[in-house]
Amino acid sequence: MKKIINFILMLVLIFSLVILIGNASSASNSNPLSDVRVRQAIAYAIDMETIVEGLFEGKATATNNLVPPDDAMKAEGLNNYAYNPEKAKKLLKEDDWDSDYVLDVAFYYGDQQTVDLMATIQAYLADVGMKISFRKIEGDTAAQLWTAPEDRVNGPAEVDWDLCYGAIAALTLNDYFDRFGTESHLNSHTPTDPELDALIETTNTTGDLAVQAEAFKQIQAIINSKVYAIPLYHQQLFIYESSRLDRGTSEYGNDQYFYDWGITGWTLEGSTTLQGIGAPTENFPAPFLNPGLDISNKLLFDRLILADANLTPSEPMLAESYDLSDDGMTLTLDLRDDVKWHDGEPFTAADVEFTFELLATVPACHDIARSTILAIEGAQAFAEGTADSISGISVDGNTMTIKFEKINPNVLLVLSQWAILPEHLLGDTNPLEIQKDKFWQSPVGTGPFKVEEVSLNDFVTFSRNADYFMESTGNIETILLVVGGETEGDLPLSAEAGKIDYAFGKSVPEATAIEALDNMKVTPVNIRYTRLLYVNKFPKK
Amino acid sequence: MLVYTLRRILILIPMLLFITFLVYTGIELMPGDAIDYIASPEAIANLAPGALEALRESLGLNDPFIFRYFRWLGNIFKGDFGYSLSSGLPISVIVYDRLPATLELAIAALILSSLFGSILGVISALKRGSILDYALSVVGMIGVSIPQFFFGLVAIVLFALKLGWLPYAGRTLPGYVSFFDRLPHLILPSLVLAFTMTAGVMRYSRTSMLDSMNKDFIKTARSKGLPEWRVNLIHGLRVAMTPVVVLIGFRLPSLISGAVVIETVFHWPGMGSEFIQAVRSQNTPLVMMISFFSVTAVLAASVVVDVITALLDPRVRLD
Repeated sequence: MKKIINFILMLVLIFSLVILIGNASSASNSNPLSDVRVRQAIAYAIDMETIVEGLFEGKATATNNLVPPDDAMKAEGLNNYAYNPEKAKKLLKEDDWDSDYVLDVAFYYGDQQTVDLMATIQAYLADVGMKISFRKIEGDTAAQLWTAPEDRVNGPAEVDWDLCYGAIAALTLNDYFDRFGTESHLNSHTPTDPELDALIETTNTTGDLAVQAEAFKQIQAIINSKVYAIPLYHQQLFIYESSRLDRGTSEYGNDQYFYDWGITGWTLEGSTTLQGIGAPTENFPAPFLNPGLDISNKLLFDRLILADANLTPSEPMLAESYDLSDDGMTLTLDLRDDVKWHDGEPFTAADVEFTFELLATVPACHDIARSTILAIEGAQAFAEGTADSISGISVDGNTMTIKFEKINPNVLLVLSQWAILPEHLLGDTNPLEIQKDKFWQSPVGTGPFKVEEVSLNDFVTFSRNADYFMESTGNIETILLVVGGETEGDLPLSAEAGKIDYAFGKSVPEATAIEALDNMKVTPVNIRYTRLLYVNKFPKK
Repeated sequence: MLVYTLRRILILIPMLLFITFLVYTGIELMPGDAIDYIASPEAIANLAPGALEALRESLGLNDPFIFRYFRWLGNIFKGDFGYSLSSGLPISVIVYDRLPATLELAIAALILSSLFGSILGVISALKRGSILDYALSVVGMIGVSIPQFFFGLVAIVLFALKLGWLPYAGRTLPGYVSFFDRLPHLILPSLVLAFTMTAGVMRYSRTSMLDSMNKDFIKTARSKGLPEWRVNLIHGLRVAMTPVVVLIGFRLPSLISGAVVIETVFHWPGMGSEFIQAVRSQNTPLVMMISFFSVTAVLAASVVVDVITALLDPRVRLD
């Protein structure tokens, strides 16, 4: 009898083990999207190649990975989830997908192309037996998209969508991946994955580029195999030039950031006035959140280090030389002594120190810049108001020594993107209200061009800075920017009227319209701007 | 009469308060606030944790709604118009900058439309039933019923892009000093704006002229043997124009509030295009200030019209 009972108990044990193992690969919580097979099915069901050819007229790149093509850090050999509706159906069948379940898809763009894309995706998913409804998020998008759950392992989710169509504009690769980790305040969608967390930690703390690159590739493999997000396509940046502009030998890069675009070497045929679009409608934007998006900011200000077209910091600029110690903990900068602000005041180390202090305290500042500055010794104390200056910065004439408390992989990048601002003009301003300062009505920088005339909401002109410290081989004496912006339909109109010599934008309809003009040249550039479907894998409230 | 005028002016104050409160509530009911529009959602994701909250706090957006409204109201009485939330520029600078542009465009359009509208309306009435009358009626219908932005875009494509006669947008360019330098920029927007405004005046003056031409005093004038032009222009027109002048009077506030659609289409840097931008980005202080000016102008115009009517017709004063 005892043997029989033991045997039955054994059977029960084995049986329950089998059930446990069987369940391990399926949904880990009440949200059906927590099952990797469902996420894979969605990836297989959408024919991104066809969408790119049809909806985007080939002016985008379909993808299986967040990292764009020809990026050195792009991992190879990932599953590319090529369009395969049969496989999608099979995966859903294995999962017992409830075909009456309606996935809630959120997006936050207001353009027609987005709605068209949503409708297309809806049709593809309907083909494999999945229902979706889509809606535009209004109001406080940040809260509705990125509020992370208190319990990062079990949820429940603080956001109410199942899928969210969005984009990541990445300056560094960490902008792509950190948001999938437990530490990120943006992670509203992915429950803790210890393996992923460890890799993200490595990329943020190692000084060894090879180790970092390897970790980045492993992260891509994890996100790809577990389908933590569904990357859709890489958007391109379009650089528009009139046929009378000759950019000489300068390379094309991501014009939304700062790099060696060589404007001092540009020549115009039959004119010395470069025309463009994007004059400020009110104040000039203070360059803390978007360090190089605004054209005026690139004309007016310089950086300590110059980045190349791949945004790799590579040449001296305001710093005549720079040296980051092997352990990544000490940075030495030798500043140029022949640089003057547009108002004639000399540029000094005090300006650099002041700019660092601003980056640590201005609220609307890009987190990369802020966290890099806060890694300097004593910066945290300064930001909290318990110290008058950042103790890790020491100045000896034109030489600055900056000691870091912890390794930060983005030090040189930050110095190559964020503009140095004049201490003698902004020094007395409260950093919390810096955008209110009169300075931004007509900013003073050290850059190759200075503000000549501002007619608010109309136009602004810049004139060549005759005292500029870098050699100028081009013939541009004046730059005229009128108001107008992307997606308002201004660019194609202005271009057709012959009023654009240089501009850039991401809108595919605009690029198509400008391409059709005889007087314009369009150069597409691959940038780190990836559209994706975020997948909410936490149980819903 | 003085009591009547004073009473009309005193009623304005609660009305002004009520309307500004309504506008403020309207902005409040829109989802989100100005901070959500300082940059694209992707860029906002790049902010440090807590930065959005710090920004809201520094701009006072976390205070209760009523508190914010009364703070705004208090500041207005102190002459402090506040700052644009999206750029930090003082609103006094913005208004000082935009008002001349709006006045320029609105006055040009008002003069053109009043002139053409009343002349064409009178001709149409005098030639009632002729082909000209029908043609003008059709043009008038088109002017009233097709939206302004459509005319604006057609005019841009035709005169600025295809023919290249006139600039397509903006108000001024570097090196322009006098009004006459800027004149080519003014032509398209003011003509398009005037066209749609003309139609109204034309219909109004036609009806009013027809009406007065049937009156007894016209018959008397004719029977006295006055020449026909004198009957029409001196006796008929003078009476017919009174309601037209009232209509034009009610259009005066648009001199300040601006022509929202036309200014936006032509990138005219006036109050109207500024207002659209401000509403889009939930820039409360700016929306409030422009509404405040417009509401005051509308109410003031209505008082002026009331007082003039009362002067002309004593019966109005009796209540």
